[in-house]
Amino acid sequence: MTGDPQSLSQRLATWARVKSPWVTVFNSGACNACDIEIIACLMPRFDVERFGILAKGSPRHADILIVTGAVTRKQASRLLRVWEQIPEPKYVIACGACGAGGGVFQGLYHVVGDVGTVIPVDMYVAGCPPRPDEIINAVVACLNLMKEDLAQGGKEWRRKAGDTDRKETTPGTVAKDVRV
Amino acid sequence: MTAQLTMEQVSGALKEYGSAEQVRKNRIRVSTDTQKILSAIKAAQQFLDCDHLILISCTDDTGSFGLTYHLTGPHRTVISLAVAVPRESPQVFSVSDILPPAAIYERQIHDLFGIVFSGHPGLSKLMLNEDWPDGEYPLRKDWKPNKANSYGGAAQGGT
Repeated sequence: MTGDPQSLSQRLATWARVKSPWVTVFNSGACNACDIEIIACLMPRFDVERFGILAKGSPRHADILIVTGAVTRKQASRLLRVWEQIPEPKYVIACGACGAGGGVFQGLYHVVGDVGTVIPVDMYVAGCPPRPDEIINAVVACLNLMKEDLAQGGKEWRRKAGDTDRKETTPGTVAKDVRV
Repeated sequence: MTAQLTMEQVSGALKEYGSAEQVRKNRIRVSTDTQKILSAIKAAQQFLDCDHLILISCTDDTGSFGLTYHLTGPHRTVISLAVAVPRESPQVFSVSDILPPAAIYERQIHDLFGIVFSGHPGLSKLMLNEDWPDGEYPLRKDWKPNKANSYGGAAQGGT
């Protein structure tokens, strides 16, 4: 994060970000069930727009990236590119059992692993698929994390000792460590 | 709608290519060999009015690969032309010049089973990632991932 966090422009930007986080959804090889639940969040029944949460088509406009599904080998580089396009500060939510831990797809020949093997994840949502309330809860928890990070001056405080940046899973094996 | 093909019509038109059997009411299977498959498909197009390729399926029968061309036409009868491709030299003629939709199925089978379709205009990767190592065919029964090998994707090397 650049600039003095106490400056007016930064405080304004933070206020806007927390009041109205813009999300973009990326399917890195999901079965579409999580995507349907995310769409359900945006629809009138759950209506996340009343919280200011807005789905955006372009990652360049987004604050939060919601990734669904285990990352396939073909989508891995695309996911990385989408993540790189999001302006800082960016937050990633791995949605569903497959996104959070590989799910039933962990160890397949065409799957790299869970979302955490490709990009750093801030929030994991369990469930197959997670209910819309759980997804909304994850976004709200992500906003609290955002506030906490601003108070701590970055994401570094959340890193645990011995955290490695990335791990690769060979097909047929299951990743042992789960990143926080 | 034209009437369904009978067993006699099919075995009569394709008798020089192999034996026909009625596996289901609507499906007639003709077992032929790799040398005759091109002319068998031409004959099915010419005499049996099979203008539509449903799909090409491939199975690993451990000793050989079972390649099946499923054809149909206005008569709605499925003609399955089956060939056994030897495992030690998995090579078969491409039918993409007489059946253009076959090209994409052949690319897929080449990716996953390693069968070489000679005469195919562009036998490049379709299903697997671009940096998948050569000579690894994941749908073969004897394929085991090599832990020392890198299978591509962005997990390594990327930012």
